[in-house]
Amino acid sequence: MLNQLALTYILAQENSGFELIPLLNQLISGVGIVGILLLTALGLAITFGVMGIINLAHGEFIMLGAYTTFLMQDLFQMDLLLTIPFAFVVTAAIGGLMELTIIRRLHGRPLETLLATWGLSIVLRGVIKLIFTAQLKYVRAPSYISGSLTVLTDGAGVPTVSISYYRLLIIGIAIALLLLTAYLLYGTGLGRQMRAVTQNRDMAKCLGINTNLVDMATFAYGCGLAGIAGTVISAIKTVSPPMGQDYLVDAWMVVVTGGVDKLIGTLAGAFVIGESNAAIAFFLNDPVARVIVLTAVIIIIRYRPEGLFTVQKRG
Amino acid sequence: MTRKRSYFDLGRTSRRKFIKYSSLAVGAGVVAACTRGGGGGSASQEDLGENPIKVGVMYSTTGSIAIVEKSLQDSTFLAIDQINNGTGPWQDNGPGIAGRKIQRIVVNPDSNWDLYNQMSKRLIDEDNVKCVLGCYTSASRKSVLPVFEEKDSLLYYPVYYEGNECSSNVFYTGAAPNQQITDSIPYCYENFGPKGFFIGSDYIYPKESNRIAKAELEKLGGQVVGDEYAALGTTEFITIINKIKQAQPDFVLSNLVGDSIPAFYRQYKNAGISAEDIPIMAYPTTEEEIQAMGAEYAAGHYTSFNYFQSVDTPENEQFVREFKEMFGNNRVTNGVMEAAYLQTFFMAQAMKDVLEAGEEINTKTLREATRGQEFNAPQGKVKIDPDNYHTYLYARIGRWQEDGQADIVFSSPSAIKPIPWSQTLYPGRMCAHPSPDDRSDPTKETGQENLETKYLES
Repeated sequence: MLNQLALTYILAQENSGFELIPLLNQLISGVGIVGILLLTALGLAITFGVMGIINLAHGEFIMLGAYTTFLMQDLFQMDLLLTIPFAFVVTAAIGGLMELTIIRRLHGRPLETLLATWGLSIVLRGVIKLIFTAQLKYVRAPSYISGSLTVLTDGAGVPTVSISYYRLLIIGIAIALLLLTAYLLYGTGLGRQMRAVTQNRDMAKCLGINTNLVDMATFAYGCGLAGIAGTVISAIKTVSPPMGQDYLVDAWMVVVTGGVDKLIGTLAGAFVIGESNAAIAFFLNDPVARVIVLTAVIIIIRYRPEGLFTVQKRG
Repeated sequence: MTRKRSYFDLGRTSRRKFIKYSSLAVGAGVVAACTRGGGGGSASQEDLGENPIKVGVMYSTTGSIAIVEKSLQDSTFLAIDQINNGTGPWQDNGPGIAGRKIQRIVVNPDSNWDLYNQMSKRLIDEDNVKCVLGCYTSASRKSVLPVFEEKDSLLYYPVYYEGNECSSNVFYTGAAPNQQITDSIPYCYENFGPKGFFIGSDYIYPKESNRIAKAELEKLGGQVVGDEYAALGTTEFITIINKIKQAQPDFVLSNLVGDSIPAFYRQYKNAGISAEDIPIMAYPTTEEEIQAMGAEYAAGHYTSFNYFQSVDTPENEQFVREFKEMFGNNRVTNGVMEAAYLQTFFMAQAMKDVLEAGEEINTKTLREATRGQEFNAPQGKVKIDPDNYHTYLYARIGRWQEDGQADIVFSSPSAIKPIPWSQTLYPGRMCAHPSPDDRSDPTKETGQENLETKYLES
């Protein structure tokens, strides 16, 4: 089959001179990257955008989610998708506990929070390494989700543009979580309280909102989202104690580029970074693409510190 | 209205606190780096009797490379335990080396190349170790090399590497290029086809290995249809896989390392490329990574290595059994771990020779005794080449099975003489240590071309 594919590529290249189909394939694949970025950035968008807490341990909560999945599979042979609620509960519980014991005490002191969450990330990695050792762990992907969806075929019915079902699943879960979060924030009483606390903490307190509880719930929810990201990612990547660190930087870029106080900014940030990464990597290569995208993000932040996709607020 | 504090507006109090906390954090970091992190290090060793022989063990058990280096440390500890207790391959020699036990001085450089340099200095200067077993990446080896050469001490280095190096102060017990690349490229060319797509992690070892492999392929008349590198630790391979699909090679040669390996194989299969269509030939992919990715993702792909857990020798059967007894049944052994294991016995045998000759163990006597040392390793009989201080090793190609073990589809008749310089890229360049005391630059241009493969006579 693939030899036929090779033939069609060669023909296509001779005819057009410009490789449109492979580029299209790459951009469709880029959607998979967007899904992962969105998933990992969502939790951070909550903790940073809503609470204003710079959580340097965000990557470690992703890692905790992945380890929860590993543990559930190891103990109960559980299907990957069924472990999602467990990953959410475990990471949210740990996140809530961290908020109660550490974050709350540093409220309004961003630098100390930065330092504390950085320390927390080291501690979490260390603890996981002590429990599970440093070995890479194996999480089984659900078999019913293997294979890929054909988007375009050539004349002979050979797929030329395709995306794997698992990547589609990732973006599906990411969008679902985004919608769920939007509903929580804008459609429920708790969400209204959360936004009230964000806008004016003192006034919210005066009006009888239990700000401590709202803070804890928000932080726990953000960590729980990170946990879900960890579960979903674990099936295509590796599970190891340092795995979260890669995602922290990417998630940061997404949140900062998109803008912190609108959820839609996170989606847009993920899309811009994921697709531009995919497109640049297609013409050049991956390390170069990363450098270019990072430089672009720095320039964006210089001229639009509030992010690309937020409305300018009065100061 | 209360004034909102921006992230850069520290205020007097918080700046003072910031300095206080950050200096505390930095201080804690320095203390952590300076203490021996070993974890299960020398403290746990039982009674070492009189006058133990101090040996440095330098592997990172924390940081980004810890996953691999910890398993090298494990197999080194197994070998030292067997030597001290007179079990395993050491059972004919009785406990210890001529009655003296090995005291392991364990340091943990935390995957930080600079710390390798500092820790090796301390092992040599303060702990007065006789020699050091350790290092994994080429970066860490390059970092400690000047230390060992300046202080004239010995390093036993257990890792396959890109070659192009000779030193009088290092014994290389992992594969040289001609023991891993030279046989795998003709195998790919004959069995899969002439078009190769080369990928790797973006640092010295993969780039240099791929350069040698490309030269070998082109010498055979093959064609390089792609050459892509991913940042170290990357787990996102969609782009590279798309480029592979587009280039339609006959095989992919992978020099990805670490966390990238399981991610790549999983995404490769998910992208719908089967091992029958485009097989992957890899160098750094071992039993350990196969276990981490799930065997079904690797099934049908290939690895070129000196040793596989499935090698059928009585020595290997014993090695695997005793390793699992010590570290748990779910662990696997691999080629690098075997090299870390066998080099400890090279060292012990050399020390035994020195002591039995009534001499003192120091760099000079140990170097002299290690040259030409032979050992029945799990992979078969191996020998340290007295000419270039690399090791005669087997060349094998394994095809991964559904159970995560390799079916060995090619094996050299016996261990192959190491050639540290790729003869395709540097024809005629050799390493030569004419005598153990001669520490002049061992790199020699011989002017010879087309060196034939020499085997160890059994």
